[in-house]
Amino acid sequence: MLTNLVKAEFRKTTSTGLWWGIMIPTVLIALGWALGTGAIGKSIMDVVNSSDAEDLTQLLGIDSSQWQVSVFGMARSINIATVFPMIFGGLAISSEISRRTITTTFLTAPNRVSALTAKLLVYLAWGAIFGVAIVASVSIGIVITSDSAALPDATGWVAMAGVGILSSILMTMFGVGIGALMTSPIATTIVLILYMLILENGIQLVLAAQGVPSIIGFLPNGAVNGLTGSVAANLFLSTAGVVPDELNEVIRGIAGALGAFDWWLSGLIFLVWTAIFFLGGWAATQKKDIT
Amino acid sequence: MHDGSGRIVVQGLTKQFGPVTAVQNLSFTVEPGSVTGFLGPNGAGKTTTLRMLLGLVTPTAGTSFINGRPFHQLGNPARVVGAVLEAQGFHPKRTARNHLRVYAAAIGVPDQAADHVLDLVGLGAAGDRKAGGFSLGMKQRLALATALLGDPQVLVLDEPSNGLDPEGIAWLRTFLQAYARQGRTVLISSHLLAEVEQTVDQVVIVSRGQTMYYGSLDQLRGSQRSRVLVQPSDASALVAALQAEGVTGIEQVPDGRLAISGMDAKQVADAALKAGVSVYGIQEERVDLEQLFFQLTNGQYTAAGPNPFAGPQTGPQQSGYYAPPQTGQFPQSGPFPQQGYPPQQYPPGQYPPAQLPPQDYQQYQQQQQPPPGYQQPGQGGYGGGN
Repeated sequence: MLTNLVKAEFRKTTSTGLWWGIMIPTVLIALGWALGTGAIGKSIMDVVNSSDAEDLTQLLGIDSSQWQVSVFGMARSINIATVFPMIFGGLAISSEISRRTITTTFLTAPNRVSALTAKLLVYLAWGAIFGVAIVASVSIGIVITSDSAALPDATGWVAMAGVGILSSILMTMFGVGIGALMTSPIATTIVLILYMLILENGIQLVLAAQGVPSIIGFLPNGAVNGLTGSVAANLFLSTAGVVPDELNEVIRGIAGALGAFDWWLSGLIFLVWTAIFFLGGWAATQKKDIT
Repeated sequence: MHDGSGRIVVQGLTKQFGPVTAVQNLSFTVEPGSVTGFLGPNGAGKTTTLRMLLGLVTPTAGTSFINGRPFHQLGNPARVVGAVLEAQGFHPKRTARNHLRVYAAAIGVPDQAADHVLDLVGLGAAGDRKAGGFSLGMKQRLALATALLGDPQVLVLDEPSNGLDPEGIAWLRTFLQAYARQGRTVLISSHLLAEVEQTVDQVVIVSRGQTMYYGSLDQLRGSQRSRVLVQPSDASALVAALQAEGVTGIEQVPDGRLAISGMDAKQVADAALKAGVSVYGIQEERVDLEQLFFQLTNGQYTAAGPNPFAGPQTGPQQSGYYAPPQTGQFPQSGPFPQQGYPPQQYPPGQYPPAQLPPQDYQQYQQQQQPPPGYQQPGQGGYGGGN
């Protein structure tokens, strides 16, 4: 029974142009950001590794030639690109409610729990599909513009790919929950974009300026950025040799993980946010009168 | 799981939307093998009732069953009941065939079912077109196709004629009757009796969220009465003469004429001649089914008065039931009033209602106060309705 509903939900997503309408900008943004951040990283490292700076780095006792700066660009690019699967998730239920297809969806399912479970499974899969596309685009972009010395090793790449896909899945489900609560596709999209790209960044600036950056790690965007950013920072630090403690915070900031906790804790915090909105949206849809 | 009877049972359904009572203690039964009309003016609670039956709206009180089970216990519900609730449940960018394949997958029927129902509703050639470009009539057909995907035993349609051209309405009529003849159940709602009169065998008439009548259409039709409106030179002399002949259904209407029931115009004229009374005008008036429907439903926006059909009456017992407004417990054995019809239900100032075009009834429904001289309920109604 659930198999049938999953098949139906999957057909819903593939029978309109929405998935590739969102996939195209996802890939372009991921690729573009990876190309750009890779190029920036390369030009910075060219300066750092130049003979002028060599004296300074030797004085500090660090070997900058092995710095895997590309992981910062990867983390940043993944963070930006996962906004798109989040919007894709945001339209999952809100679009059905606004287009009134939810009526037939509920009429053809044994009950709402099974209809929503099928949706959950299909959007988990879509989150993973978008995640794979993002990781692939970011990897291609970063390889093109970075020096090979700045790239992570195979283990590092697997770690980045893993958290990239995980954060895409979580962002998708976060969107599904917000969409189910808002029930309007336009409002959902605007709220998600405004909050994730502008509002929370403002809050983060204020918190950092107030000297309480650790709160950032508890906010949704801060937590999900911490997921990829912490892994990037850890990867960098594990291979960079001796890095002065004062630089740690700077490096986490560069990775987009300022104030964030360890990657697993960040992931857990964002999972809680996702669960709150997803379960809230589920509960609202479960008892909603479809009139 | 379910009993396979094809019977729909609605028991005491009530729905409050905030302060608004959309449906109040509504009860009726729909039997298989016939097309049942679910009739009532706009806002009578028809759509809400159907959505409660289909598990889309949670009732405040009461229960409803299809095949002896609430909707959510039907297992794979679309194999038991198909519903056409609105002609807009489509993604505009999804083709008709893809729309049907989505739900074919959900129901667990093969993809060929999508093509089959497309042909069935006459959309075979439009299957690859996007639903957003469909006309309202085509959307109605696609909604019907969706309802038919699971080959259900019970079909529920909410105002399915909306947007259909005359040809489409004729087609739908034939289709639904053929469907019912296979022993299946068809429940079709409408705010116009005339629209479904030729389609339905049974009717459930609701107004103000309550059941006003439920039974066969033929019995409702059999209750149509005629009366004679006469303007005599001497009303009291004519009344005396008629009473001497044993006629009791006499009433004075607001414009001064006498309304006599139980006689035809010729008999009244003969009686007047015998009594030496001049007749200045005489007119025979039939109350047709549509007017009866108005009478049953037009109290929706006026102060709640006693249901003229609910009180104790004399006359032959019939199997169609009229419900009192507040109890709604079925079956309610209120004998049908063979003599006369309710005085207060005619449109104020527009008597006789036969002259009232159907499209105007919405207007007079909302009439709050009857004009002066308009006969109130319980004031010696025509034929003793109370």
